[in-house]
Amino acid sequence: MSAVLERRLREQRARVLIRAHDYRQRRHAHGVWLRLRRVLADASAAYAVSADDARALVAEGHAVQPVGAELEPPKLIVTVAADRVPAMAGAVPVPIRMGEELLAASFLVLVPFDTAPPRRGAP
Amino acid sequence: MTFRERLFATIRAARPVLEEPGVLIVGSEVPNLLESGAASTLVVSQDLDVGVPVACHAAVKRQLPALLPHFEPSPDEPSVWTPRSPQLLELNFVGVDFSQDPAEAYVFEDDQLPLLVFGALSLVEPGVELNIEGSRIRLPRVAGLLLEKLVTDRTGEKGDRDLLVALGLLMTAAPADLDEFVGAYCRLRPELRYAVRSNLTLLSLIDARAGMPDPRPQRAAVVTLLRRLEAGGGEP
Repeated sequence: MSAVLERRLREQRARVLIRAHDYRQRRHAHGVWLRLRRVLADASAAYAVSADDARALVAEGHAVQPVGAELEPPKLIVTVAADRVPAMAGAVPVPIRMGEELLAASFLVLVPFDTAPPRRGAP
Repeated sequence: MTFRERLFATIRAARPVLEEPGVLIVGSEVPNLLESGAASTLVVSQDLDVGVPVACHAAVKRQLPALLPHFEPSPDEPSVWTPRSPQLLELNFVGVDFSQDPAEAYVFEDDQLPLLVFGALSLVEPGVELNIEGSRIRLPRVAGLLLEKLVTDRTGEKGDRDLLVALGLLMTAAPADLDEFVGAYCRLRPELRYAVRSNLTLLSLIDARAGMPDPRPQRAAVVTLLRRLEAGGGEP
């Protein structure tokens, strides 16, 4: 067997083992990243907001995403309809990816695809 | 020279192998060829993945000498044939074993054309035949190839490119293809279904890359598919 193919085979088998481990751990801390990605996948836009704005949204009854509490430090992730966002003067759009801006935000507002008007301003 | 011209020239040069019964094009060029008129605008890599069913290996091997005017075996990677001209793409041969478990892989040993046989490719089924400037090539059914792309673990830069191939397939899929995809997904065991959903979430968060299809406008389509999977056979 060529060394290159042997190496690729080993890598492939290692990936399968890692996947199996991830799957076994999916309901535990290891699965938190998928749960976070899943919540983000539903969002057409994301905004970093102030603690006061986030708590006001919770008080209004907007849905809190439990995955935020699983992170350390925890995040308060609230899902709101797009038309609620303009009332938050300090809301800062953040790109929806596992990037620094999103991960650094302690208070995050997500707008689900279902409620987003076309071509809204968030990146 | 456009990418489409390079792709077509490569298909022409590799015609003796590509027209061998059973051989499938399985990789990143499939979305390009499925675009209207094989427009080839969904470029994510510069090679042509040639799927060789292990049962067809001997017949394909007999055709290899016909490639020699245009390609040569890579000294570093025996399943890769590199082009003699920069106007052609590299050929990357991969083995297909339809009886294989999707999570397994093995090396099909051969002194001339050894193949790494990826189990996930067992999910692929032969699909449409295209005539590309006189060369008859066989593509896989979209559903099976999309499943193969999403069931395979993806990491790093290469992983993102592979997921962009899945994106290209999504962009070219017909509603019936997606129905077939969901049906095939539901027949997978839970661990593999988990991998598919995980990869779709990764795809929904990939940033744009220069010269490659921008995944961001397709995020709504990605999550719509994800919701269908969860409704049809996903587990939380």
